[in-house]
Amino acid sequence: MVAGVDYLLPQGLDVGSVDALLSERLELECERVRTGRRTFYDTFDGRLHAKGLVLVHEEMRLVLRDDEREQAGLAYPDKAPSRLAVSDLPDGPLRAALAPICGVRALQATASLRGHRRLLRVLDGERKTIVRLIAEEATLARNGSGNGAHALRPRLHVEPVRGYAKALRRVRGTLEDDLGLVAATEPLRDEAVWRAGGSPGGVSSKVAAAFAPDLRADRAAAALAERLVSVIEANLPGALAEIDTEFLHDVRVAVRRTRSLQRELKRVFPPAPLAHFRTEFRWLQQVTGPTRDLDVYLADLDGAPELDPLRAVLIERRIHERAAMERALRLARTRRLLEHWSAFVQRIADAPRAGRDDALRPISAVAAQRIARVYRVLTRMGSAIDGASAPATLHDLRKKGKELRYLLEFFAPLFPPPVVDPMVTSLKALQDTLGRFQDREVQAALLRELSDEVAMRERGGAALMAMGVLAQRLDADRAQARSEFAGRFGAFAAPRQRALVRETFG
Amino acid sequence: MSRTLATYNIKGGVGKTSAAANLAYLAAAGGARTLLWDLDPQGASTFLFRIRPHVKGGARKLVRGKSNVAKRIKGTDHDRLDLLPADFSYRHMDLALDGAKKPTRRLKRVLAPIAADYDYVFLDCAPSISLVSESVFEAADALLVPMIPATLSSRTYEQLRGVVAAEAAGGPKVLAFFSMLDRRKLLHRDVVERLPREHPGVLRTAIPTAADVERMGMHRTVLHEFAPRGRAARAYRALWSEIGERLGDGASPLNGA
Repeated sequence: MVAGVDYLLPQGLDVGSVDALLSERLELECERVRTGRRTFYDTFDGRLHAKGLVLVHEEMRLVLRDDEREQAGLAYPDKAPSRLAVSDLPDGPLRAALAPICGVRALQATASLRGHRRLLRVLDGERKTIVRLIAEEATLARNGSGNGAHALRPRLHVEPVRGYAKALRRVRGTLEDDLGLVAATEPLRDEAVWRAGGSPGGVSSKVAAAFAPDLRADRAAAALAERLVSVIEANLPGALAEIDTEFLHDVRVAVRRTRSLQRELKRVFPPAPLAHFRTEFRWLQQVTGPTRDLDVYLADLDGAPELDPLRAVLIERRIHERAAMERALRLARTRRLLEHWSAFVQRIADAPRAGRDDALRPISAVAAQRIARVYRVLTRMGSAIDGASAPATLHDLRKKGKELRYLLEFFAPLFPPPVVDPMVTSLKALQDTLGRFQDREVQAALLRELSDEVAMRERGGAALMAMGVLAQRLDADRAQARSEFAGRFGAFAAPRQRALVRETFG
Repeated sequence: MSRTLATYNIKGGVGKTSAAANLAYLAAAGGARTLLWDLDPQGASTFLFRIRPHVKGGARKLVRGKSNVAKRIKGTDHDRLDLLPADFSYRHMDLALDGAKKPTRRLKRVLAPIAADYDYVFLDCAPSISLVSESVFEAADALLVPMIPATLSSRTYEQLRGVVAAEAAGGPKVLAFFSMLDRRKLLHRDVVERLPREHPGVLRTAIPTAADVERMGMHRTVLHEFAPRGRAARAYRALWSEIGERLGDGASPLNGA
């Protein structure tokens, strides 16, 4: 099927007068002008946009569309909210369509338009609609991120009718060749979103750096550090407003990556200021940790009603932890840290050379050295682990694995994919196993810690029994992860892989 | 999950097309992505929606899976409502099915590739009891059976129940309703009151005989487009709501109203 397209209406034409121009060339039936408001939604990271979908609240419905047609809809007589959680939508086609795309991400209003629309039906000889034309003049409604009313240029949206592709091509030909209309370069939603101050494709938290191999290492580190600060700053408001749990997660990942960058590339930074920033970023990670742990625990918690007392305890604890975290994140200390760190890395090239032995070396050489070093340490640590090793040794290995993972994320494009790709795949598999091992242990420990508190609650006895079953399940999964370790590590540290790493990274 | 509803009766002229067109329209207006397949070679539904009664390749290619069904579908004038048109070759659909493997499963297989595109598929069947009917029974989740109130209505209903496999055995739900009800007639009133008591499968809502229904052919559209407040249009809304309840979709099928 052929997709729809938007044309910009020439100056002087509007929704009321466009039919006069079009009816000279097309058999039309014009409906009355309708006035209304439309609000567009997407996740913060633009998941609907990435799939070519538009979610819009209009005429008391929430409608999900692709380029061609409506995918799903829902009666939504309430005013368009600023935030929508997919889990709050009633069961039905819309929720079913959105859930796998959005995951835990909430939908936020990205732009709101007020204006007039008019449907003009192009008819065939039987007076059957074969193409729909929708004339629209809209003004950006004032919203949180917008900075006032903007009138968008009037458009004519050409909407295909299924099974009438030839008619659509004919109508488009008439509009372009006979009437000289020019196709809009972007969909209305995208124009509305950027005019509202947003980004139509959403905000990515990926690092996605591409460096020239001979770039000075300190400049490369500064570019990465700045990108990570921008990710933290972009996600902090959403984390504080509790729009969804991913905001806090992305803040924490960016903080962890920053700390990894500080550790792994420490010889490009002046040592004394770096020590201060490392302390401060450690603090930032610590104050956000408990809330994130509880977010994960609550998301993973079995929905069985017997566990409601445990859920209640976790929710209360989370409220308490969130309050503490919010206080910390709103401190001038947090704002100052990000500002000062950003200013510090921007001036890095001018910093004194003392203690910055790697600063002027090419980033490809420094990165290769660090990757080789961390890989060697990892293989050494992993090889020393056997059936009798303490859990802490696996936790330490996981931490080191994260270092390597971040290094590869930062610098993978500098190295040949046939070497990096299998390394990333086997590292991910290893990290997943180590992560499961640690998560289950932490979760089981938390269950034990909370058991007294849960026991005192109403229906606490039944909850304790359910927690016992849950703890057994966690222990079993932990044991399973432990038994998988040797195989995963074996793949990661296979002789061929080691040889490749030596050859490529030195 | 897509639901397939077939308007069916052995007899003609009982209001099958009127029901199929108006109910499909209501489903779409309520927010559901809806397809109406006009299986009647006379093409009355197709005519109502002003679409040419032609399917490239005809019945034979369609039922044998040699025609891309998605490409044969036409959008109607109404949001979310599409039509798979009638074709004169459908008069030989029995023969086309007869020569195919597992003929009674054919219609279901024709619809399988487009099932994800629609929340409701309506089949507007030609009056008959044939291989096509059996294939409809296999494809449908429910049969919507319009019946004119008459002394023999009960027998007609029982006959149909005898032909269609029981729900427990994988057959469709049978949801019969009265059509062309004339409340001035004592017999009609009596039958409409009695039959639902005797047969819980018979719906409470009845479609009255109304000039509006006859005028659909003149206007070439559904009732709600030219007589939305008329008795017949109101009755179809009530019927759709009752069907929703019986199907377990609630009063507003799919929350899409």
